[in-house]
Amino acid sequence: MNPYVPILAIGAIGFGFAVFSVAIAFITGPKRYNRAKADAYECGIEPSPSAAGGGRFPVKYFLTAMLFIVFDIEIVFLYPWAVTFDQLGLFGLVEMILFIATVFVAYTYVWRRGGLEWD
Amino acid sequence: MLTTPSFEYLLLSPMLIILAAAVIGVLAEAFLDRNHLPVIQLFISVGAILLALIQIYRIKSSSSTSAAIGSVVIDKATIYLQGTILIIGLLALLLISDQEQFVAQASAIPGSREEQESTSKGSIQTEIYPLLSFALAGMMLFTCASDLITLFVALEVFSLPLYLLAGLSRRRRLLSQEAALKYFLLGAYSSAFFLFGAAFLYGISGSVYLVDISSAVSGGYGNDVFVLIGLIFISVGLLFKISAVPFHAWTPDVYQGAPTSVTAFMAAATKVAAFGAILRIFYVVFSPIANQWRPIISVIAIITMVFGSAVAIAQRDVKRMLAYSSIAHAGFILTAVLALNKSGLSAALFYLTTYGLSTLAAFGIITLIRDATGEVTDLNKWAGLGKKSPLIAGSFAFLLLSFAGIPLTSGFIGKFAIFSAAYETGNIAVVVFGVLSSALAAFFYIRVILLMFVAQSQNDSISIAIPSVKSRIAIGATTAATVILGLFPSLLLNITQSFSIFIK
Amino acid sequence: MSILTVMMLICVIGAGMLFFIPTAKTVLVKQISLAISILVALIGIYLVGSLDKTQSGMQFVEIRNWIPTFGINYSVGVDGISAVLILMSVLLVPIVLLATWNESENGRWSVRTFQILVLILEVFMIGVFAATDLFLFYVFFEAMLIPVYFLIAGYGSGERAAAAVKFLLYSLFGGLLMLAAIIGTYVIAGNQIGKTFDIEKLSTLQIDQTTQNLLFLGFFLAFAIKAPLWPFHTWLPDAARSATTGTSVLLVGVLDKVGTYGMIKFCLKLFPEASRYFTPWIIGLALVSIIYGAIVAIGQKDIRGLIAFTSISHFGFITMGIFAMTTQGMSGANLYMFNHAFSTAALFLIAGWMIARRKSANIADFGGLQRVTPVMAWSFFIAGLSSLALPGLASFVSEFLVLVGTFTRYPVAAVIGTIGIILAALYILIPVQRALHGQTLKSNENLSDLDIRERVAIAPVILLIILLGLFPKPILDLINPAAKTVITSNGFSDPVSKVKK
Repeated sequence: MNPYVPILAIGAIGFGFAVFSVAIAFITGPKRYNRAKADAYECGIEPSPSAAGGGRFPVKYFLTAMLFIVFDIEIVFLYPWAVTFDQLGLFGLVEMILFIATVFVAYTYVWRRGGLEWD
Repeated sequence: MLTTPSFEYLLLSPMLIILAAAVIGVLAEAFLDRNHLPVIQLFISVGAILLALIQIYRIKSSSSTSAAIGSVVIDKATIYLQGTILIIGLLALLLISDQEQFVAQASAIPGSREEQESTSKGSIQTEIYPLLSFALAGMMLFTCASDLITLFVALEVFSLPLYLLAGLSRRRRLLSQEAALKYFLLGAYSSAFFLFGAAFLYGISGSVYLVDISSAVSGGYGNDVFVLIGLIFISVGLLFKISAVPFHAWTPDVYQGAPTSVTAFMAAATKVAAFGAILRIFYVVFSPIANQWRPIISVIAIITMVFGSAVAIAQRDVKRMLAYSSIAHAGFILTAVLALNKSGLSAALFYLTTYGLSTLAAFGIITLIRDATGEVTDLNKWAGLGKKSPLIAGSFAFLLLSFAGIPLTSGFIGKFAIFSAAYETGNIAVVVFGVLSSALAAFFYIRVILLMFVAQSQNDSISIAIPSVKSRIAIGATTAATVILGLFPSLLLNITQSFSIFIK
Repeated sequence: MSILTVMMLICVIGAGMLFFIPTAKTVLVKQISLAISILVALIGIYLVGSLDKTQSGMQFVEIRNWIPTFGINYSVGVDGISAVLILMSVLLVPIVLLATWNESENGRWSVRTFQILVLILEVFMIGVFAATDLFLFYVFFEAMLIPVYFLIAGYGSGERAAAAVKFLLYSLFGGLLMLAAIIGTYVIAGNQIGKTFDIEKLSTLQIDQTTQNLLFLGFFLAFAIKAPLWPFHTWLPDAARSATTGTSVLLVGVLDKVGTYGMIKFCLKLFPEASRYFTPWIIGLALVSIIYGAIVAIGQKDIRGLIAFTSISHFGFITMGIFAMTTQGMSGANLYMFNHAFSTAALFLIAGWMIARRKSANIADFGGLQRVTPVMAWSFFIAGLSSLALPGLASFVSEFLVLVGTFTRYPVAAVIGTIGIILAALYILIPVQRALHGQTLKSNENLSDLDIRERVAIAPVILLIILLGLFPKPILDLINPAAKTVITSNGFSDPVSKVKK
């Protein structure tokens, strides 16, 4: 059988599911409108039009998010290293130290340039 | 059981040095006194580039496919391209270090009190140096990457700093930020195309390594439609970087908005890096199925040359004009990709170097033409420049003649080399279009020359800044290279000839 | 080192010297450049004098590697044809410099720049005729445009910027088409005999007819634009009207000859079959040029426009002589190139003086100059008569040879061409009558005659016109062997003998 048939099948099922759920929610769901429904997001933080600059998110959110990614990536790489630690031996250790040091440089930069000061 | 990977650190050292310099630069930003930072950062960057150049020289005759477990190929062409990128980077750095083109504090909102304060305090966004180093390292990696993942990572490593650098102009900040955002969004979009294509190629060959893809392409999968899809999408990502039509829309805006010295670096070095990767991919991986992609790339090359040259005529801004001219030049170099022979590769290497140097010089000169509000890029105000400073205007005119491909300039030799290589493998239509669009392009270069030398100047507000020693070195060296390589092209041609070797 | 290289080097060094002289010392600058151009002219005379007339090959050859990667050499050498054209160029430069002594002072840039540009142009003019490497030829061919462009744009009058751009774009367009053809030839050479641009070697290539036709067209268009042949001529009148007199002389006298020279040296030599294929068409174009140029010249009000259009007519004759493919035609065409340079130079120079004195280029504004300024009027008269090919003056011999040469192969074309001679009488005699003879207009009463400098400048030209009319032999002796070689080595034969049988 052509190996792409399963892929197509998965695609079709995914598409079908999306159409199905939206349709079923549209047909069976109750329709009670209120203010929260009209918001862009029904959950999460309040969009705050009063913030400085006319409705923008403070840049601090992004800084935090990026800092999170820095450590996130670090963890992603630490896991496989932990699993194969004994096989890679000293080489792995040195490489990992270098890697962590590099990530740490990014962290110190953010810290020293005031990225962690909330106010 | 995993085996410990082995690295050939000597071969990787040029890239490692630049990367280390970038990291050290970030550390310096974090800890050192801000008053001394500009000098320190310049010292770090220049030192690293010089060191890397020495390393390049030391490894100039080595080649290896296993420098980094198959992800990196160090061959003659790589070494040449990396050397070129480093030299361009060094000269661009000299232009960039003339600080006043960069914003004092990038995070301050344009026109705000905060901005005025930081400007009057004389603070400087010295992050440009580590950013430039990152970009350089990414570009160097891009020319030697031999698996799709590395290729993609390199693409991002050199693109992201450029997006940022484009937004750091001191004057006309909104334009600059708009340019950066446009560049970023379109760049991200093209990266997505690249990844999409990479996925297809991985799907067809079961490997991300170019070697395996190449053998899959030549061994039975060559006619597979998925190869073609993968090829096309990967090309979109790459053609975006060299700003080939129809993926060129960002170029004029970004070239115009970015600080001029960054534009110089972008225009010169990005082309070298991106063409390095394109040449490698088409020469090494896809040459067995050249019949399938040649028509596509031919058409793209033709419309790129013609469009770039034709639209440039309508430009009233010198940076935009050079942007369109760089689009046209991308078309010319694409012709070398079509040639698909050793002389084509050699011609491309020659062209990239000479074009890069001339472009640096041209943008360098633009930084000198100023009035009270900063650089003057409106062509109308350039009228009568020849009278004010015959030397500067004369140099600029000469560079334009080189772009136009008039004999006795390096641009002419480059065009000749490329066209004759492409003609050899029968791409005659492309050559004829190339030649005709050169004539078209000559029109607007000549118009600028006319404007500078013949037209009456309407106002006396513009002046020519006395270039600093650094700018003088950069502009002087690059202009001199354009002259010398026009008269004695053999100096460089012999080198490109012996360095035009790709290995798998 | 070849004497040709020496000539070019002297000009380069001269231009370099001028660069270091303060702009303000205009007289010194002019004196130096005049001295250098005279020196080069003397060397040029020596070059022609010492040329071995019995030999038809290249002489004073010098070959050096320039770009070995592409097989490009710096190689120069002359045969009779190119030697005569080099002589023509180097003679014209000092005459022009002397004749237009003050012209460069009204330009947008300094006198020094003007002189440097002229000297650089002289380098390229010598180089373009001396090059025996196709690539080198192309480099000189294109590079020549730049100084001329600046000479027109910087020192001309009227719509000079537009005229300069028009000139440059026409030439560049043709040149770039030629570049494509050159690349084609080069690639074919690479496949057959190895990478080379040597013209002799390239002429041995075996090229199939279709390819040859296309390559021929690439070359021919460039040369037809340069020459200029109808319908590629429109840049010339504009350029001639806007340029200074000196520039016009060099432009029409020398630069345009590169076009016809290229037809002989490259079109015929490299693509003989294609030349034969296109000959009828080209003869047709040449005839149109002859008649069209003459008729439009008659209607010209601007005296410089008139001279420009007569040149178009004359270039028609030259092209016809070349493509008649006979020895007489070829010799005649070559001699015509030489003669035309001097009669046109004389016309342009005197017209320039007339315009400078009268402050008008309109023919109708002159009248009765014969009485007020006899020397100027006589000079113009003689040059004009030469231009209409009066027997006894230079152009007659060449025009006669061209027509005879054409007649033996294309009698009809030759007969039509003769109409051009009749029209020539009209376009020369009408302005001569209006401007020189008749009632002296009040406004012309106070015009001054030629001064010493101007007389010294124009005398050799007039002398050459008369001498070459009476004794064309020295020049013809130089041209004939080379012309014969061009015809025979390309597989053509004179039809004359057949007619006799």
